[in-house]
Amino acid sequence: MTDPIRDEWYPVALVSQLPQGDRDTLLLGEPIRVTLQDGQPMVTASGRVLRSQARYGHVWTSLGSPTRPLFDIPEADQPGRRLVDVGLVRVKCSPLRAVENFLDIAHFPFVHTDILGAEPHTEVGRYDVAIRDEVDEVWATKVQFYQPQAAKSAAGGITTEYMYRVPAPTVSVLYKTCPPRPGEWDVITLFVQPLTETLCEVWPWMALFDDTTPLTDLIHFQQTIFLQDRSILENQQPSLLPLDPGLEIPTRADLTSVAYRRWLKRRGYTYGAQLVAA
Amino acid sequence: MILYDYILSPDCYKVRLLASFVGAPLELRAVDFHPGGEHRSAPFLRINPAGTIPVLQDSDLILTESASILTYVAAAHGPDWLGDDTPIMRGRVAQWLAFGHRLSASIGKARTHDMLQKPADIDACRKSGVTALRELEAALIEAHLRGDAFLAGHRPTLADIACFPHAMLAPDGGISTDPYPAIRLWTRSLRALPRFIEMPGIHRLHELKPEPTGSSL
Amino acid sequence: MTDAWTPVALARDLPRLGVVPLCVDGIDIALWRSASGRVAAWADRCPHRGMRLSHGFVRGEALSCIYHGWSYGSEGQCLRIPAHPDLTPPEAIRVPVFQAIESGGVVWVAPKTTDAMPPAVGGTALRSLTVDAVVDWAASGFTLSSAVARGELSGVAMTILVQPLPNGRFALHALADSAAPAALIEASRGLEALRRQAEVALA
Repeated sequence: MTDPIRDEWYPVALVSQLPQGDRDTLLLGEPIRVTLQDGQPMVTASGRVLRSQARYGHVWTSLGSPTRPLFDIPEADQPGRRLVDVGLVRVKCSPLRAVENFLDIAHFPFVHTDILGAEPHTEVGRYDVAIRDEVDEVWATKVQFYQPQAAKSAAGGITTEYMYRVPAPTVSVLYKTCPPRPGEWDVITLFVQPLTETLCEVWPWMALFDDTTPLTDLIHFQQTIFLQDRSILENQQPSLLPLDPGLEIPTRADLTSVAYRRWLKRRGYTYGAQLVAA
Repeated sequence: MILYDYILSPDCYKVRLLASFVGAPLELRAVDFHPGGEHRSAPFLRINPAGTIPVLQDSDLILTESASILTYVAAAHGPDWLGDDTPIMRGRVAQWLAFGHRLSASIGKARTHDMLQKPADIDACRKSGVTALRELEAALIEAHLRGDAFLAGHRPTLADIACFPHAMLAPDGGISTDPYPAIRLWTRSLRALPRFIEMPGIHRLHELKPEPTGSSL
Repeated sequence: MTDAWTPVALARDLPRLGVVPLCVDGIDIALWRSASGRVAAWADRCPHRGMRLSHGFVRGEALSCIYHGWSYGSEGQCLRIPAHPDLTPPEAIRVPVFQAIESGGVVWVAPKTTDAMPPAVGGTALRSLTVDAVVDWAASGFTLSSAVARGELSGVAMTILVQPLPNGRFALHALADSAAPAALIEASRGLEALRRQAEVALA
């Protein structure tokens, strides 16, 4: 019998930081320690060794027994890509609120003003959303938005195309127009570590085609975007993401988040969520 | 002028903000403070043995400490921001530049603890932060009663820049700014100044821009 | 028995286009003032995704949420959803509204509908401050009637409106009988001393 919460893979550390020392942290409310053992990451919980692996620059672990491998992002192995560890940011919010914010574009003109969006270009056109049952993931495609400065590699304002993907309950992957390489997608992810139901650490990570921007500038651009979201995330009520309709009112621009909430409920994933009607 | 900068650092932001207000040309050189810890790397320590940011480099001059950098940039590019050349204003500006260090040490540390997991005695930092904000609030009340809209006098100066970022960002470190109406009004007046720029965590004042045409507000 | 009206701010601390977060009787409230000067007290929560409206912005007679810019008109009804500029928002999208009134230089909020008026007070607005403990008004020479404390600080006659906050804290909204700046500065320092005394057990 799979435990929908414990039997998942979660990000818990940056591989590149492990040589600097052990990392004591929380996962789903339980203390864990991430350390290097013979050059390999190891994760323990109260002395018990947990399953773990290093992927996408991060250490992933589970308190249970995942029945599926970690999701795949093929772009991570594509030659010419720059892989960017953005570093953790801790947020006092539900891990699910953090993921849902990452799936949303209607906030760009107000929260990421003059970077990812600007008034009066606020309209969110129709896009496609599906729960892909064969992989059990949420996907949104054909998302478009006009952006003053879509990426460090963009010369000016462009209409950016997006795709969004939720391959795991606390992970979101975004694919966006890649200015230097039309036809390819830049990949930006949010790996979210749930410390408790109302506290999480987000680990943004990227796989980009950009040969010119200094690495630190790429990191700071993404940190800027996330820090702008943080004060929103810490001020949403209720803290726990409502999975039932009534308490919050979505519109057509929110189809991805509606699908995400439905998908979480279907999976029985309630960590950081509440099942309550209005 | 080159500023060794971290986009999330309130102390670096003070310099960026002043540079914008006075129109000073500033080349930003991003330092991978987090997660890279570049400020503690050997190459960086050659520039600043203290391993802190911001650092300003102007030809052969290297300045550390945001208060010193603010003073230099103002003197070179916008002397109005030093305040009137009177003993009272000089004294006040110096007081608030020093007070800015208390805000960094309390609110700044609480913020990096809560956001970036940097070690700190969080309870002590928050307590000192509240004490400092209360002092700032009382000072703003008295400034208004004297007829001054800003900390050092009738116009904004380095005194205001030195205190503004942490006063706005205190909630990042778990310190509410709800109890301070005078601070709220003062930060709002700074944010409405021409050539004000934000930093991540300080939002644009959308009320300063009219609703896009075609709406019925 | 709580009074119908709770003092929540000095009117001068709520400028036009200003929004302020408050808590009254355990209810989170966004207090704001429109461009025309109208004061309103709304539930501090946007019905879209639960973002605090007290972080929002005021344009004209509407308050907008900072998250997605949804804007709400004078009765709390949603006027505009920027993601769908041509959509007339459904009636159901609205923010609960509470009574708010300006009287005597103070803003008062009534969590429950009332026909009563707030107590008559007056004076020069001095300041508000938050105290993390109970103030012994009698020991400080003040008489307290409901939310209104009358007494003297540093030789200045004062009216102090007392607003209970969560977790045993209080907001004090102080008015002085004198308008002289020197007297007001002394009164402000007197308030600080009053707070220090009340909080001494916390140190």
